[in-house]
Amino acid sequence: MLFLNKDNFQRDVFLGLLVWLILIMFYFIFPDPGIHDIIQKVFILGLFAMSLNILIGYLGLIAFGHAAFFASGAYTLGLFLQSDFVLNLASFSIPVAMLLAVLVSSILAALIGVICIRLKDIYFSFLTLAFQMLIYSIILALVNITGGDQGLMGGFPKPPFLGIDLGKPFDFYAFTIFISIITIVLLRQIIESPFGYGLRMIRDNSERPAALGFSNQKHKLFAFIIAGSIAGLAGSLQALLDVGAYPEWAFWSKSAEPLFMILLGGMHSFLGPLMGALIFEILNDFVTANTRYYGLVLGLVILCFVLGLKKGLLDWILIKFNRK
Amino acid sequence: MEIFALFDCIMSPACLLSQAAGGLKIGMLLFLVASGLTLVFGVLGVINFAHGALYMLGAYFSWQIMSITGHFGLSVILGALGVGLFGLLFERILISRVYNAELLVQILLCYSVVLILDDLVMIIWGDEFLSSVGVPEVFQVPPLFIFDAIIPPFHLAIIAMSFIVGLILWFIMTKTRFGRLVRAAAVNPKMLEALGININLLRASVFMLGSFLAGLGGALAASVGSVVSGMGNSIIIESFIVTVIGGMGSISGAFLASLIIGMARSFGAVAMPLFTDGLMFLIMVLVLVLRPQGLMGNKK
Amino acid sequence: MLKLDKLSKSFGGILATDNVSLELKPNSINAVIGPNGAGKTTLFNLITGKISLDKGQIFIGNKNITNLTESEITHLGIARAFQITNIFPTLSVKDSIKVALLAKQHGLNNMWNRFKTHSINNEAESIAKLSGLTKSYDTISSELSHGDQKLLDIALALALKPKVLLLDEPTAGMGPEERWKMIDRIQKLWKKTKMTVLFIEHDMDIVFDTAQNIYVLQQGSIIAEGTPKEIKNNKKVIEAYLGGGKK
Repeated sequence: MLFLNKDNFQRDVFLGLLVWLILIMFYFIFPDPGIHDIIQKVFILGLFAMSLNILIGYLGLIAFGHAAFFASGAYTLGLFLQSDFVLNLASFSIPVAMLLAVLVSSILAALIGVICIRLKDIYFSFLTLAFQMLIYSIILALVNITGGDQGLMGGFPKPPFLGIDLGKPFDFYAFTIFISIITIVLLRQIIESPFGYGLRMIRDNSERPAALGFSNQKHKLFAFIIAGSIAGLAGSLQALLDVGAYPEWAFWSKSAEPLFMILLGGMHSFLGPLMGALIFEILNDFVTANTRYYGLVLGLVILCFVLGLKKGLLDWILIKFNRK
Repeated sequence: MEIFALFDCIMSPACLLSQAAGGLKIGMLLFLVASGLTLVFGVLGVINFAHGALYMLGAYFSWQIMSITGHFGLSVILGALGVGLFGLLFERILISRVYNAELLVQILLCYSVVLILDDLVMIIWGDEFLSSVGVPEVFQVPPLFIFDAIIPPFHLAIIAMSFIVGLILWFIMTKTRFGRLVRAAAVNPKMLEALGININLLRASVFMLGSFLAGLGGALAASVGSVVSGMGNSIIIESFIVTVIGGMGSISGAFLASLIIGMARSFGAVAMPLFTDGLMFLIMVLVLVLRPQGLMGNKK
Repeated sequence: MLKLDKLSKSFGGILATDNVSLELKPNSINAVIGPNGAGKTTLFNLITGKISLDKGQIFIGNKNITNLTESEITHLGIARAFQITNIFPTLSVKDSIKVALLAKQHGLNNMWNRFKTHSINNEAESIAKLSGLTKSYDTISSELSHGDQKLLDIALALALKPKVLLLDEPTAGMGPEERWKMIDRIQKLWKKTKMTVLFIEHDMDIVFDTAQNIYVLQQGSIIAEGTPKEIKNNKKVIEAYLGGGKK
């Protein structure tokens, strides 16, 4: 047990693998595909929300346009798998497609980040939103490439690789959760490294670092790029799940979803956004099963959290726990 | 890019005029709504993301009153007033709790109200869109032909109405005591409190005014378009663009920006039909990068 | 160690700093006094590069640091503690000092190690000890007492291992007993580190008791300088203060 108490990378890897194995067993203990679907979605959206929380929770930058990178990841993967490169790469198509998705998203994040980071507070937030909507408009306009408002049409192949066939539900389930957990473990390393504390430092006081000989801007840009890359990864997973990519994923309301999850789960704990994704998905499922007025319920829930709890669920739990 | 189509249009008086009139109509209606948004931000420091939902309420209210009374003028005025009243309740019950909270909290609060209202109107008025209130009888006249351009008189009426409201707003803000208090509150609310002015009353009335303007915009929009849940979601984004381009808190800036956006939309639809919205966002990006305080805003 | 040569700065039409020259000897402890609005904090801002000079030059040792950026100047040996505490509210004392140390040593780009077990821990502990913060080492900054927050502000400056330490009203907001405790602590760390210290202070007793040299600033220019004894008997100073002490 001492090993588990040590807060280091090896322990995180161990815990991550453990959780993955548990969830694999879970797959067979509870064979209901609806539940598997929720778990996958929770991880994909959780990844998306955790990537945004790098900026909101740890850096203190409220980015409204984060879904731009989610969409860029999705479309990159989709377009690549629809292209002729697939014929040449066959069994490496999907790994290459995913790497490309991350790469394209990180480049996009670098370009957008460099410009947005110069602005402060609300102007930063609005500029990120403006860029996202600009990308949305571009996706719609390039009908011949992206399919316009219909989304990427015609689907795409999912060639098996390394013995994994993403066409099979179990393979997809295990693969998605595996990739998500690896990313979460790596993200934790970044957040708990000196780099991560540099983020907290800037969040707490953006003036003092200069008096310590430190340059905020480079740090913020790196964080922005990392956040964008992970969002792109999440987007590529979503595209694989839906075998397509849709312009709605670049619309401003898609950026609201991770925001809700961060609110529901908490922005001050590492796994808060993931818990928020869980709450969000369960709510989604439960509400849409019982009523068509999903917006009403979600709106009321958010209102309660904003006015009542004033912090996310995991944050609240952890604070209560520490009071012991 | 249909650059030639744009060129042809500009060269033809008919096209030029009708597109310009269209742009003016879009712009002025947008100004009505955006002025409310920028007013609320300038004085209360709140980004009312539910402003588009108030616009939607204005449309629904006026539709309802029209179907009861059949009187266009009444439906518009009462519809807008109804939204103003709703705004008062909204401000006192919810908005006042988040005046000093972070931006994120304000946005989430407002967005939750949007979600609630979008469903509420469906529960009350049904899922289907409601067909437009229709052009009032007095305007059911043949269109005007100016230089061969077809211009519906009602559109001119809307333009005129919005312009007059804008003038009244300007008058209130610059020439009345209320306006002076409001502008002072934007700069130094604590000082006003110390002077014995009831800040809560002032805040509530500003929010009411902003809501009234949104409702008015919605009520007028109901006469030329259909009424449906979620119709506020595109106007809120456009209002934001206008507010940002014009300068947050500046009504004259909102006026200028609304005209620019209106024209950009109208002529943009000719030049780049697939990228019309994109053009607006491009302008917003350029303004934020080159002059973040907006055209008429002050550098903070 | 620190040489200011005819510094001038205007804001709008107002001359905030007027032809200020001074030279601090290495390993000396000096004070700047003067009425509010005399330009003391502005002077500090000019030295640390937070605002730009209109005229004049600044030297640390032999190096001309005129018009370098704030970041560059901190790497050349000047550190500063602020009048209104300028710390990291959610970080503990320990983490704040660690982060300051790593910032200076360009260690914040590191994504491979874990912050909590970083080798910088030892250095951070000794700075905390030097600043008298060992007791509150694990306390979150926002929960510290006012006095400890001020000490933390100084500790962050010490993390830069400066040659010149500027302290902007280190005893502000404290009662008399706390003030002497603070100045005592400052003297201790001055003696231990052999830095050159320049502090802004309003309590005359403290100034006369602690400083080796005193510079009197009024309306942006230095109207007198000298040892405590010389300053006590300086007519101009007495006039400026109307009989001796601004407490």
